[in-house]
Amino acid sequence: MSSKQPPAERASELIESVPASNIVSKTGAIVLGTGLAATAISQELYVVNEETVILAGFAILATIIARSAHGPYSEWARGQIDKIKGILNQSRAEHTQAVKDRINSVEQMKDVVGLTKGLFALSKETVQLEAEIFEQRQRVAMAAELKSVLDSWVRYEQQAKEAEQAELAKSVIDKVLKSLSDERAQKDILLSAVTEVEQLVKNKAI
Amino acid sequence: MFSPLDQFETISLFSLAAPILGNFNIALTNLGFYCFLVFVIIFGFHVISNNNLALVPSHYSIALESFFASIANMVRSQIGENKEIYLPFVYSLFLFILVSNLVSNVPYNFAVTSSAIVCLGLSVTIFLSVTILALTKHGIKFFSFFVPSGCPLALVPLLVLIELISYFARSVSLGLRLFANIVAGHTLLAILSSFLIKLFSTSILVFFVTLIPFALFTAIIGLEIAVSFIQAFVFSLLVCSYIKDAEYLH
Repeated sequence: MSSKQPPAERASELIESVPASNIVSKTGAIVLGTGLAATAISQELYVVNEETVILAGFAILATIIARSAHGPYSEWARGQIDKIKGILNQSRAEHTQAVKDRINSVEQMKDVVGLTKGLFALSKETVQLEAEIFEQRQRVAMAAELKSVLDSWVRYEQQAKEAEQAELAKSVIDKVLKSLSDERAQKDILLSAVTEVEQLVKNKAI
Repeated sequence: MFSPLDQFETISLFSLAAPILGNFNIALTNLGFYCFLVFVIIFGFHVISNNNLALVPSHYSIALESFFASIANMVRSQIGENKEIYLPFVYSLFLFILVSNLVSNVPYNFAVTSSAIVCLGLSVTIFLSVTILALTKHGIKFFSFFVPSGCPLALVPLLVLIELISYFARSVSLGLRLFANIVAGHTLLAILSSFLIKLFSTSILVFFVTLIPFALFTAIIGLEIAVSFIQAFVFSLLVCSYIKDAEYLH
């Protein structure tokens, strides 16, 4: 507090508080102020009354309050401002760090386009190969089906032919047997055989 | 002759009279002028504290923010966490009364809150508004507010009468408290200052002796400044309490 201030320092502080640049003009300001106050009071421009006492008391109290509250309030306000600044700066730093982290995480995926293109080409190729495999499988299945149908057809033809030949042979044998059982035919055969034998004898073949 | 009550007189500073519409007269009184001055001070303080919308507050804006936070805290604790709709009203009311009281503490200035019309006008308007709010919100159930829960049936008529008188007394007591405190404080200062000026002007010796009661007088001015804050706070707190009653009945 100012109570511990040396009197000389206090006096110079009071002189300094007078609004003027040098000591001469400061003196002039004090003289002018005093003169104006004296004139105002003597000319009844300003009347010293009860309100003046309240004014003096209020001025003293206001000065005391202003002086005693200014320091602690400024300190508290600065503390609050610093706290808010700290929060804002911390938020800014955290945000910057978050952006940097994001950049780093995105940077790890910088080859993702080429890689995706390669994977896409590979998948495209795989699909094409799968389509070809499917086509070949279809062809093989088709060929197998055809072969089995044709084999079956051949077997059927074979069987039909065999059955026809057997039928023919049977009918020929039956016919021959039937003709052999006929007496006229037997006689003709016998006659033909005798003729052949006679012929052979005639030719001295026997 | 000097009267300590002269300071509370409403006088016309500027008036306009015309012999039309039943001698039409419009006047700017000291009361109207100081109401406008209070508005200018509050508005100016908010403009300065706006701090060009900067994110980091200035010394002024931190004071305003503290004021606002205190009132917001009072509204939340008194009315409810989800009742911040009343915050602008209570905040405006608190600042109006506080600045009016503080301006009146500055010498040569008029005390707006020493006007019975202003104080009772405020309190009656608030009383009516709060009653309308309660009736709108609760309808006929609002009248259960006048019946204390769990009271014997025989005592109900008497208690309802007492509660009713107590409820209507709010409309006067709210404004009267503020009015009486400000008038009493300013009257005391005027009376003491009239004694002190006589003592100061007696002689040089008495002048220096009078500095002792003058120090006490200065302390009383400090007390008046404290009363300015306390009355603004009490008024706002009671308004919050009345709104809470209207919102929740009991």
